[in-house]
Amino acid sequence: MRGPSLAVKGGILLAAVFVALKFVLPLLTAPLPMSLIYLYLFLTIIGIVVYGTLSGESTEALLGPIFRFLSGEGIGGAVKSARLAVLVLFPLLVGWQTYGGLAPNTQPPAESRTIHPAPPGEFVGLSNPLPNTPENVMMGTGLYAAYCLPCHGPKFNGNGPASDGFNPPPANFADPGTIAMLQESYLFWRIKKGGVGLSVEGHPWKSAMPRWEVELSDDQIWKIIMAEYAGAGQKPRTWE
Amino acid sequence: MRTVPLRYGVAALLAVVAGLLWVAPALSQETVVVRAKLIQGEVPTDPAAPIWSTIAATEFPMSPQVHWQKRIGSVTAKSVKVRGVHNNKQIAFMVEYADPTQDPADAAALEFMVGDKKAHFAHGQPMGQVEGGPVNIWYWRNDTPAAADMSAMGFGTLKKQAQQDVQAKAVWKDEKTKITFKERKQSLRKDPKGELVKDPKTGNPVVDEETKAVEQDVSGVWRVVFTRALTTTDKEDVQIQPGTFPNVAFAVWDGKKLESGDLKESGSQKAVSSWWYINAEPPPDYSIYLYGLIAVVLAAGVEFVIIRKVKKGQPA
Repeated sequence: MRGPSLAVKGGILLAAVFVALKFVLPLLTAPLPMSLIYLYLFLTIIGIVVYGTLSGESTEALLGPIFRFLSGEGIGGAVKSARLAVLVLFPLLVGWQTYGGLAPNTQPPAESRTIHPAPPGEFVGLSNPLPNTPENVMMGTGLYAAYCLPCHGPKFNGNGPASDGFNPPPANFADPGTIAMLQESYLFWRIKKGGVGLSVEGHPWKSAMPRWEVELSDDQIWKIIMAEYAGAGQKPRTWE
Repeated sequence: MRTVPLRYGVAALLAVVAGLLWVAPALSQETVVVRAKLIQGEVPTDPAAPIWSTIAATEFPMSPQVHWQKRIGSVTAKSVKVRGVHNNKQIAFMVEYADPTQDPADAAALEFMVGDKKAHFAHGQPMGQVEGGPVNIWYWRNDTPAAADMSAMGFGTLKKQAQQDVQAKAVWKDEKTKITFKERKQSLRKDPKGELVKDPKTGNPVVDEETKAVEQDVSGVWRVVFTRALTTTDKEDVQIQPGTFPNVAFAVWDGKKLESGDLKESGSQKAVSSWWYINAEPPPDYSIYLYGLIAVVLAAGVEFVIIRKVKKGQPA
């Protein structure tokens, strides 16, 4: 029994790539923009055409069914109706895409913000100069309650009573994707220099994080960092 | 020559076409954009104008100002509802929020970025690694007859512009309204014996937190209408082009006088939001329908030529 032709295999491959990129990939990671999906589909088509035209036989296997479908010769019944539908839908789709490309954009510009941009060199590799003692953690907890809790919340989850109006919202330290994957030096930079200290990819113009160096000493900031890790049940990332 | 099962090819082609048709517009983001509807005639300057009831509002949550000194712990305005209209020359925004009392020092403001440079929402304060731009602030206060058209680029730089282009009119009504806000309750977790439960990792008592959206009836609503020309000759002003998405932020002060004689909210002690967007609806452009139609005709023509060529040249 013969299997499907090269043209059919190519069509199935193209559909499978589209389904995987559009629907399956978002289950695992961030969704891809449509422009990138179209690029991948284009590359897949190029691959199919190159493979399919390596020999005369494979060229016929690739193009023969397409030509017969387009010419309508030797087909009937449901396939004939499907051919008519495709021939009508194709120009309409081109018209729709043209309209979509020219229609005024009704959505605000997409702004992809980097949540953890690279810190300035002067902050890389700093280590906490204070010992992690219960006293220091307790003092840090008190400072956290006075300065950080309104936004980051009593449970260190970014759900403080002052957090509702801010976009982006305050960081959730209990989330394994925040302070648990950062070194203490990174937190020191973010607390000391605040939102306005971020690089351009961090969108500093949106951040409500104060520049705490104006009000807190370095020692107080290090104690707050200890309290944040302890309160959120996380450990700082290390290179060991 | 092999017989080709056409039904497989048809199925694959239909799958691809269906997949391409899936390209649907993104979900509406009406929680982040104030849509200023294009209208005919004059824009309404009166908060009681009937047209406002026909315009959809966008609601933005507000926070106590905690970014810089001097801070405030809680504020009266938990959210603002904002509506917008324009007529291609003038634009009007109505800011609506609950405030149980009408006080002389009640105030509200809109803030915009000016020019192409990004500006921090806190009065365009300088940023460490990014060269920021100025902000334009439209300010209204209950005991001041005229609105103030202001500029700032950092704390302590707020100034009234030489050229005043903004007008404002406000009405406070003792009417009932509903406000929605997040209510947070914390409690220490106890075991069945009534003993405090401690976190095995930290040794601290476990705190349970319940957060829920609460709808509350309150009496007293401010409606403040700001109007201005879409574009002005003042370089310190935001220039609003229909179809674009300028950034906007909001601020509200409850000017109620406390028993101590101090105002409940004044100066930097206020309710604030960070940056959101406005969008003045662009005038209709019917040429896009024509271009769409031309594309349909061209695609059908190309299709016809290809089929004709295939029919002529197809091998037997």
